[in-house]
Amino acid sequence: METPTFTSSVHYQDPKAALAWLENAFGFEVTMAIDGPPEAPAMCHYEMSVGGRGRIMIGGQWEETVKSPKSLGGANTQVVHVMLTGDLDAHCERARAAGARILAEPADEFYGDRRYRVADLEGHRWSFSVHVRDVSRSEAEAALGQPIVAKDWP
Amino acid sequence: MTQQGQASRVLLAIRVNATPARAFAAFTEEIGQWWRPNGLFEFRRGRSGVLSFEPGSNGRLIETYEDGTIFVIGEVRLWEPPRRLVVAWRQESFSPDQSTELHVRFEEAGEQTRVTVEHFGWDTIPQRHAARHGFPLGAFQLRFAEWWQVMLRNLRDRA
Repeated sequence: METPTFTSSVHYQDPKAALAWLENAFGFEVTMAIDGPPEAPAMCHYEMSVGGRGRIMIGGQWEETVKSPKSLGGANTQVVHVMLTGDLDAHCERARAAGARILAEPADEFYGDRRYRVADLEGHRWSFSVHVRDVSRSEAEAALGQPIVAKDWP
Repeated sequence: MTQQGQASRVLLAIRVNATPARAFAAFTEEIGQWWRPNGLFEFRRGRSGVLSFEPGSNGRLIETYEDGTIFVIGEVRLWEPPRRLVVAWRQESFSPDQSTELHVRFEEAGEQTRVTVEHFGWDTIPQRHAARHGFPLGAFQLRFAEWWQVMLRNLRDRA
């Protein structure tokens, strides 16, 4: 688990409740936790991983311009995408059972991933996928109906 | 720890490719090989030595210096291989009523073991105290957490 180049920081009204929820619903694990002082609980810092891989930072609304979707009528400015291994549908059912709002049921995508989209307890949007098959450039172009000009595929 | 000490918890966790028993052994018996001194968190000012556990529920965590002298970092408060370990943690500059506490857990995670380190009590050490280097608590905790993260990666590479 070396430090990943990109890390998203996701902010909640109640970060401690979010930690427990993310563990229960998505199977994330806490890898770092620094609780804020009693008089300023928003001054906390948490990090989580999935099965020992990757990193997401979890924080509070520590200043006026840092908001949870719950404080913004559900608006999101980003979606965190997580590449999983294993059974995506089981992951989705676990999230559903934990009270997550499923925005798009698991489905096979043309590029070879199976994916679902979900909202968490404060309305942050997440997308989870598992790679299920390799898709050739020509097959993907046929699915899209247009050429893929990118140098690298996939 | 007191309720006060609970407020400043610093937690780090990592997965290692080993059984809980092996991870516990690596943590305790081999701490001298994966531990690296850090100038910000010296037990004795300007000195660094090798850490070791005297094992068992009456054991201690000690630092041994080149001249053969030792400093007692803390006494073992809970010794439950291969699951749990609690040890007191103080620096030489602490007054008799100041102490922090280290809790370590070893939990099976599939084929791996999740090693969780929790350190309590830094909020009982005043910011002006030498051990805090004048850092506000949050900044101090983050530096401390980042250092523990490096230590745990060393442990993982050994376990």
